[in-house]
Formats: sequence, structure tokens, C-alpha cells
Amino acid sequence: MDSSWKLTDAQLREWLSTLLDGNSVVAPIEEDGVLLFRPIASEEQAVVKPSGKTRWSPKEFLFPRSEALYRYDFKGEAVQLEDPPLPDEHQVLFGVRSCDASGIVRLDEIFLSGTKDRLYAARRENTTVVSAACAAADVECFCTAVGYSPVGEEGSDVQLVPLGEDWMLRVLTDKGRELVGDAGDGWTAATAKDGNRIAEQEKSVAGQIERSPVNREWSKVLEEGFEHGAWDRLAQHCLGCSVCAYVCPSCSCFDMNHEANAWCGEQCRSWDACTFPLFTHHASGHNPRETKQERYRQRVLHKFAFREKDDEPFRCVGCGRCVAQCPAGLDIVNTVAAAVEAIREEGADAAR
Amino acid sequence: MTEANVAAAKSEGGAVPENWKPHIVALVCNWCSYAGADMAGTTRLEYPANLRMMRFPCTGRMSPLMILRAFEQGADGVLVSGCHPGDCHYVQGNLVARRRFTIFRSLMDFIGIDLKRLHFAWVSAAEGHKWAKVVNDVTASVQEAGPLPSFAHPEGWEGIELPEMAGSGPQELDAGQLDAIRTNLRKAASEILTTERAGVVIGYGSGSLPNHTHPILITEIADCAKLEWDQGCRNNLGAYVGSALEKHKRVAVVAKTCDLGAISGLIREGQLRRDQLLVIGVQCPGVHDGSGLATKCLSCSGDPHPICDLVVTVEGVQESCEDPSAAALDTPDARDEQIAFLESLPHEERWKYWQRQFGRCLRCYACRAACPLCYCSTCISDKHRPQWVPTSIDHRGNSTWNIIRAVHLAGRCSGCDECARVCPADIRLDLINRKLSLEVKRQYGAIGLDPAEKSALVDFRMEDAEEFIL
Repeated sequence: MDSSWKLTDAQLREWLSTLLDGNSVVAPIEEDGVLLFRPIASEEQAVVKPSGKTRWSPKEFLFPRSEALYRYDFKGEAVQLEDPPLPDEHQVLFGVRSCDASGIVRLDEIFLSGTKDRLYAARRENTTVVSAACAAADVECFCTAVGYSPVGEEGSDVQLVPLGEDWMLRVLTDKGRELVGDAGDGWTAATAKDGNRIAEQEKSVAGQIERSPVNREWSKVLEEGFEHGAWDRLAQHCLGCSVCAYVCPSCSCFDMNHEANAWCGEQCRSWDACTFPLFTHHASGHNPRETKQERYRQRVLHKFAFREKDDEPFRCVGCGRCVAQCPAGLDIVNTVAAAVEAIREEGADAAR
Repeated sequence: MTEANVAAAKSEGGAVPENWKPHIVALVCNWCSYAGADMAGTTRLEYPANLRMMRFPCTGRMSPLMILRAFEQGADGVLVSGCHPGDCHYVQGNLVARRRFTIFRSLMDFIGIDLKRLHFAWVSAAEGHKWAKVVNDVTASVQEAGPLPSFAHPEGWEGIELPEMAGSGPQELDAGQLDAIRTNLRKAASEILTTERAGVVIGYGSGSLPNHTHPILITEIADCAKLEWDQGCRNNLGAYVGSALEKHKRVAVVAKTCDLGAISGLIREGQLRRDQLLVIGVQCPGVHDGSGLATKCLSCSGDPHPICDLVVTVEGVQESCEDPSAAALDTPDARDEQIAFLESLPHEERWKYWQRQFGRCLRCYACRAACPLCYCSTCISDKHRPQWVPTSIDHRGNSTWNIIRAVHLAGRCSGCDECARVCPADIRLDLINRKLSLEVKRQYGAIGLDPAEKSALVDFRMEDAEEFIL
């Protein structure tokens, strides 16, 4: 799987335009000043740059914001049930940042381990990920602090590595090989020197990220200090929205909802977030996570604690979107560090 | 009816079938219009059968949610009808409703619903003939408007460029001046805590990213040194006052002039008492949002307002006790030109503009969370029995949510722009809010900062304009 080529920007765009034939190509585009992933109609729409990320991750193309699980229709006395057709169009997620590609693998762990989610599985099966490594970090980026890399290969079928004006295209999986097909025949093979630049790039981007790393041992500390009073202080300015969860590449919570009228309707699965009170609100009226602090703690711990094995990756991939976009300026990395410090200093049982 | 129309909406872009007939939902009050329709029936008057009626106790019970629901479920037109002013069975239901409809109608027009689809009428129990005429006219009007445009991403649409917004913004403050303000602010805060004038000071602490701050709630005098003051102080801290009052008898809050309207609104609406609050107005350098000065700052002087209890400037800290009734926030707004431009476009363009914006909505409800005046303990969008706002995160649900959020703030929103600032999808909620406040002002006069004033939409006058009502 070591096929790699060096492409000019024009060659990359040409390849992108050939992908439009037979695939739904989802790439970053700019819409009303917002960079976001959308299916593109022509390669000119795509904004593929050496750095910078979309406002939110491309997870909605595998795990849609809302999707029907089944539909029903009243026909006289009878009720007709209908399964929505399985998604069968092949899609290419193009220009996905390394963090977002890792986010997809974190989603796979949720939706494909144990009982497979049939809709997710069908979409995933039909998806090829062309990732784009980063040549620079945004101010909010902290992938290297949580064990990920700006040039990470996880989740990518094909990886694009920016080399100044040019790109190195690397095939990483069979799916990637299939996507490239014989297009590579017309491209220049990448040299070993080009290959070395990946490590150089990783080092230089990592150097731009000033965050101190989140220690793996902290998971246990966080769990032990679950009831620690620090959580109350740390999240007292949380506003209780779900920007963090919805822009997050790895947040995967959902709720079931029903959209219907007197004639027909559908049972849907829609994004939901642990930061919302309704997420855990029981029918009885009881809510096990009554306060916004408890809910925020849940989100933080689900990223950095609650891991089955020590070598399991953090569920936070370090894209930094939640930090950049939190209306109240909450910072997940600082929160973790502050909680750990407080728990260690004051003991795990310090009162709330 | 619904399926057919949803299907029709989905196939938008195709030609309207020759024999297409509109589907119209009529919301009628029980006492006048329903009886009027009955009268039309017993008089054996003929009128088109495109209309399905829903009976309500009163027009005052008809929420814009119900009109939105009709459109969202595929109605091509909606007719709302009730008793003539003065005839309301509940004395004033229709008078309050009239104001609500006036404002709602202007918003629907703004987001691209052709007003040929949305009609209001007063029909009394005796006016069978009028009912028949109204239904005839409304049906013809909706027929002319054609099928409702689809709730969908406008594929292939180029988009529109809104005019650039201009304005000089507040007086520039250099680093030394900002330092002086910061020092004065910290002094004021520690004085407040020392003298126990308030149990907590809500202010801004330095954030983890450059030019970012985050709200902090300070109860220890030593922590006053954490208070920041610069162009990154974006939040409207009024959103934190309610929860802080659960723990403290009196709350001090740092406020920019743009934050005051919402704080005043909280008092006006009985959410807190003036004496529970100590407002620290601070001279503002304007806030930066994204790349430059925030829109709301373009025409703001940045000067602290006299309704504040304390005023912090470069010079020092002063007690301020001017008469709030003399105070009004009536500045021109850089957005007005953009609104006028949007209004000059055909309905179809406006619909596409807003459908693209609403389509991006993730329903994270950050707009709701950041708004000090969105204080309901359970939001209408979180209610499921009945469910007026679709939960599904799609164009229908998003449109209903974004419209109803604005409607619920009409006549109350003070233009702090927090909703637009926090929106991850950059939906121009500020334009919608500004449009509604312009309309409220035009119809019923501006609301100032005096907490004793009554919000326009909970009030009415017998002589309120109603030229649009049939």
C-alpha cells in the first residue's frame, strides 16, 4: 500500500473532477462565508487548502443530523410500514482533515461494534475518505495534545499531504486504491524525500500547538473525582447548548423523534447531545443529570475517561472546534487539566 | 391533503399542473368566524372548497406556531379569521392577536412567504356573505401565488451579496486606556464585594484563545484581579443573572451598553427586580467578532449608559443615578441597508436566501442559550405533546424553529446580537431580529430602556393599524 504520487494543484483538481463521475463527492465549500462540507456539483466549488477546517466535521454524511428509520402510512384500516431504502450511492469525503478522519473511526466504534447500525454501516461501506493532512495549525487546534497527529492516517483511504504548492497523494487502503484506479499512471511518483516531509510537517505543526498534553493516566483521576466540587466551578458558565457536541467529529449521541400528521409519519433518529437536559430526562420526571455541570462533566468524561483499556484512544480528536465555538468560552483541555489538578490537590471526595 | 402537497412541494421546479388547486388552512374563532361560515352554509352560499377550517376559541389563542405548522405541513395558504375589534368574546383577545399578526406577517414576508398566501379577516357571526367573499378572494389569491415553495436547499443557487455595512464604531481605546478601565473595573468589583453591595460580580475572565474571554462569576475579592476588559468581551452577561440570583441576594453584572436592553427586559418581564441587580456599565471599545468590529458596534458610541448603577470609564468609577425613563437606545443601524436590499428582492430570492441559511442550522440552540431573554424553563421546541416545532434537523424543522424564535422575541429583543454571534452556522439572526424591531417600532413605537414600559406585543390600542385585515 505504498503507492504515492506528487501532484500539482491542477492535477489534484483534475482528479477531483473525475471522481464526480459515479460518486457523490462531498468536499469543503464556502457558503455565505461559512466553510462546510457539502456534495459538490463541480470541482471548482471545492475549497481544498493546506490548512484550515470546516465549521463542523463531515460526520453528518455518515450519521445524518436526522434520518428516517421507518415510515408509516394509514391506508384505510391498514397501516403500511416502509423501510427507507438503504443508502447505496458511493460517496467520497474529500479534503477531510486528519482529526475529522479519526473522528470517523471513533464513530465506527460506536455504530459498527457489537450490533451494527444498518443505515450507518451501509453508508460507511459506500464511503471512501480522502483526507488532507495539515500544513499549519489553527489557533484552536490541539490534536497533538490528545494523542492524534496533524498528518494522521487513521480513517483515511487516501491521504493528501500538502507539499508547498503541490500535494502528495498516498493510497492507504484497498478502498483508496480502487478510488485512484489507473489515474496514477499519469502522475509522477513521489520520492523518498517527499515522504520524509510528512514527518517534518508533523513536527512543524506540532510545534505550533502550545497546549500541554493530556496525560492518559488522568482518565482514572477524572473518574475517581467524579463527584469532586471542581466540576461545579469549572462549568458554571456553561450555557447548556450543544454547539460543542454538534460541531464535534466524534460525538455520536442521538434521540428518537417522531414526525407525523394524521395521515402518515416517520420515526427518526436525530442528533442529540448530553449537554441538553432532555437527553437524560426520564418519563417519570427524574433527571439523573439534573444540572448543567453534571451534563458538561459527562461530555468531558466521555471524551477523556470511561475508557475500557488504557491504550484506547481518547474520544476527543483535538480539532478544537468546541473551544473555538463555545458561546461561553469553555475549553475542554483546560477543564480537564483544572479538574485533575483540583482532584489531586483536594482529594477525590472534596465536597461539591 | 398533506401527502399530495408535500409531494408537490418536493417536485418544485417543475411546472405547476394546469388543474392545480391550492390547499388552504383556515384558523377561525369559534364565536364569530366559525358561526359566520355556518351562516354562509345555511344561506346556501357557494364558495371554493379548497379550504379546511380549524376552530379555535379566539384569535388570541392562535399562535404563529399554528400558522407555521400549516405551511410546514404543506398548506399553500393560510387564512386567519375572528371577531371584529370590540366584539371579542374575551374582550381583547383579537386586539392582542392583531398586533401579533401584524408583526408575524411582516416576518413571513421578509423570509420570502408571498403575502398572497397569508390572509387575515374579521368576519362576524352575521356575515355569511362576507365569509363567502373572503374565501373566494383568498382562494383566488393563493391560486395566483401557486404552490408553496419547497423547504429545501436551493440547489445551484448562486446566492446574493448583501451591501457592505459601514460605521465608525466607538472611540478607539489604546492599550493604556484599556488598562486604566480594567484597573478601575477591578477596583469597583472588589469594592462591591468588600462592602457587600452584591454577593457576586459577573464579569469577563481571560479566555484560552487569543482575543477570547469567558464569563466568570466572582465571589472572592482576590479573584477580582481576574476581571478583563477588551474587545473580546462579547457575551451578554445578562444571561447569567437569573441563575446567579438562585445563590445570591444581589448580583452585580458588568454590562456593555448593548447588553442593557436585555437586562432591562428581564426586569420589565418580572424575571428579576431592579434592586436585586447592580449594573456596572463600562466604557466599551467595541467587541471583535471573527475578523473585525461586530456589526452592532458600528454605530455605537461605546459610552456607558446612565441607567447603570456604576459607571466605569478611563477616568474612574462613578455612581450613576440618572432617570432611566429619559433613556432610549435609538441609534441608526448598519444593518438597515441590508434589510432594505433583501426587501427589494422578489419573494423567491428571499425564500432561497433564508432556506440556505436555515438549512445550515444544527439546532444546537446556542442562540437560545446565549439570549438573556430566552428564559423559559421549557422551550416550545422541547415540547412534544403537542409538538409544534419539528425535532428533525431539516429545512422544515429549522425554518419553524428560526422563525418562532424570532417571533417569541419580537418587541422584546434588544439587539445585543448574541444569538447571531454564537450561531456556528452564521445564520443572520441579527437581520431577522432587526427587521422585527423596525416593524415593532414603525407600528407601535420604540421600546427604550425603561423597565416600567410595557412590551409592544403584550399591549394593544383599539386604533392599532389593520389595513391588511380583510
